Amino acid sequence: METQGPIIRFAVLDKVLDLARANSLWPVTFGLACCAIEMMCTSMARFDLARFGAEVFRPSPRQADLMMVTGTVTRKMAPSLVTLYEQMPSPKWVIAVGNCAISGGPFVFKGQYNIVEGVDKLIPVDVYVPGCPPRPEGLLEGLMKLEEKITGTRRFPKAEEKW
Amino acid sequence: MVTGIIQDLKKAVAGIEASEVSYEQNGYHAAVVTQKGSLVSVAEFFNGRVFYLADLCCVDYVDYLELVYFFNHHKTLCRIKVTLKVEPEKPTAPTISHIYNIAHWYEREIHEFFGVYFEGHPNLTYLFLHEGIEYYPLRKKPTPVPEDAKKLLNSFNPEGEEDTFFVNLGPQHPSTHGVLRVVVKMDGEYILSAEPVLGYLHRMHEKMAENRSYLQFLPNPARIDYPGALLLNLAHVTTIEKLCGIEVPERAQYIRTITCELNRIASHLLWFGAFPADLGALTPFLYAFDDREQILDILENITGSRLTYCYFRFGGLYNDIDDTFIEMTKKFVKRMRERFKIYDELVTGNVIFVNRAKGTGILEQDQVHKYGCSGPIIRSTGMPFDIRKTEPYAVYDQVDFEIPTGTVGDNMDRYNVRMAEMEMSLRIVEQAIAKLPSGPFKAEKVPKKLKPPKGDIYHAVESSRGETGVYIVSDESDTPYRMRWRVPSYSNLMTFPALARGTLIADAIATLGSYDIVVPEIDR
Repeated sequence: METQGPIIRFAVLDKVLDLARANSLWPVTFGLACCAIEMMCTSMARFDLARFGAEVFRPSPRQADLMMVTGTVTRKMAPSLVTLYEQMPSPKWVIAVGNCAISGGPFVFKGQYNIVEGVDKLIPVDVYVPGCPPRPEGLLEGLMKLEEKITGTRRFPKAEEKW
Repeated sequence: MVTGIIQDLKKAVAGIEASEVSYEQNGYHAAVVTQKGSLVSVAEFFNGRVFYLADLCCVDYVDYLELVYFFNHHKTLCRIKVTLKVEPEKPTAPTISHIYNIAHWYEREIHEFFGVYFEGHPNLTYLFLHEGIEYYPLRKKPTPVPEDAKKLLNSFNPEGEEDTFFVNLGPQHPSTHGVLRVVVKMDGEYILSAEPVLGYLHRMHEKMAENRSYLQFLPNPARIDYPGALLLNLAHVTTIEKLCGIEVPERAQYIRTITCELNRIASHLLWFGAFPADLGALTPFLYAFDDREQILDILENITGSRLTYCYFRFGGLYNDIDDTFIEMTKKFVKRMRERFKIYDELVTGNVIFVNRAKGTGILEQDQVHKYGCSGPIIRSTGMPFDIRKTEPYAVYDQVDFEIPTGTVGDNMDRYNVRMAEMEMSLRIVEQAIAKLPSGPFKAEKVPKKLKPPKGDIYHAVESSRGETGVYIVSDESDTPYRMRWRVPSYSNLMTFPALARGTLIADAIATLGSYDIVVPEIDR
């Protein structure tokens, strides 16, 4: 599945627009479970999501262009989640936060009857942030990965890998 | 008290067997076996004595299903287990939902997970599960859901009535604290009825417990109630220690108390941020999270995680605390006392806040036993009910603390009780640190593979929301035969339809915010 782009494209203007979009992502207020608390921590004073222009949490999906799926998606929740995604105007992006949203995480076992094993079975996902729950730093890195995906360049040089 | 109650019960209701059992071993004082004909009179008897229905669950013994009712008294500890055997094929049982309101939801839950039909229940529809479930999830043998039962799956039928309309609060709504959905029937701005729809985050913890060994289930309680993860971790661990007879060293008990109280403050701080946010003030959120991060730093140092802690082990702890922990905690206690003054100036005395919270969402004290409420909700009505006092676990009997109570039971009282509780927690932390003994932090010779003796046990702790109980039925194997979680948010939320009726929708949001519900805990 591919993220829907705009119908009309302008070569240079698109790049400028993408830069603007990447620096002012508006997430939809959509907390599902434990990871939502870490998402709240990320937007609070210490980790300060506002530094990257992504602090404007919108309760209505029609005003948002980023959906952070923070938690377990159950089968009862799945239709609502898809509706929310479809209500968001294009271009839109999805970050799957936490193991539950990526693959079902710790709640996958033989005979499970109620969860969707990965939100990418329902909607296209751009960035996966692993963890149970991921640390706020992890979520910020995920956000920067998304910015990189939108603009093609990275905001900060990548930290040196230690191992 | 127990002996007297049993004698009275035997006199009042004919055809029941009642006997006292060892509280140390089972966690309840008496076991009563009833028949279908006498169950309602037993419930009426307990209702007359102002007992509350602590829990109602079902255990599948393949040959028969057993309904287990736990009655307890808010003022004096007297926990009584009442059981009723029902047949496995097309099981039926009489309802007690007309006596105890909370049984309303418990019976619906048992109906969808075990297929028990409660005769006389007004609305026996599904509470948790999605449509299209094929087998009853918690039955031991795969039992298909009959076609005629599937008709019950739709619990929401908006019927056209003049001058009324429906508002769906949630499942995606900023003030439902997660994915709770409340179907509200409105007449203008006023609420005619509010019906919570649960199950948007049902994560099958009880089913998982049956598939995993006791040790493998350790990380799960932290996901049931994530703001107060350590408290649920403690509930799980202490129940199994009691079941297996594991002695815990004193140092471990003290550290458990300290870390649990820190976690309680963190949980209350999260609520302190969210409650004014529901009323429209976002600033306290920023203050609360600032302090909460300090606690997370302290706990992260010793547990290794920020939110979903798994720190306690059977017979002790994962690792010992160090001097940094004690130093940081002392510093935090000092800092927090200063911060409370700021909070009081910012929120407690704020006239807008007071006008919104005072006199709204009043819970009457004579109603609480019908709902089985616990925690700050019940204490706000003036009832000093706290498991830490009635059944002390860890070292709560060795520290000095009081139970803050309210007077009216409105939203402001719930706010005041929680704020006072945070101060009380600081007092407990201070005392426990001063008394902290040296010694081992882990019991020796705890086997890796626990095989508890045959039997059942109910054990409760006071989590930040109220009485969190674990009921375990063991069959001598390394996995529990049945593990049942009695969660406080569930019974607390049951009062919401009653409190919301007739109020403005804005006040109902304030009431919902004052509950401090955690949806994964309700849905399990």
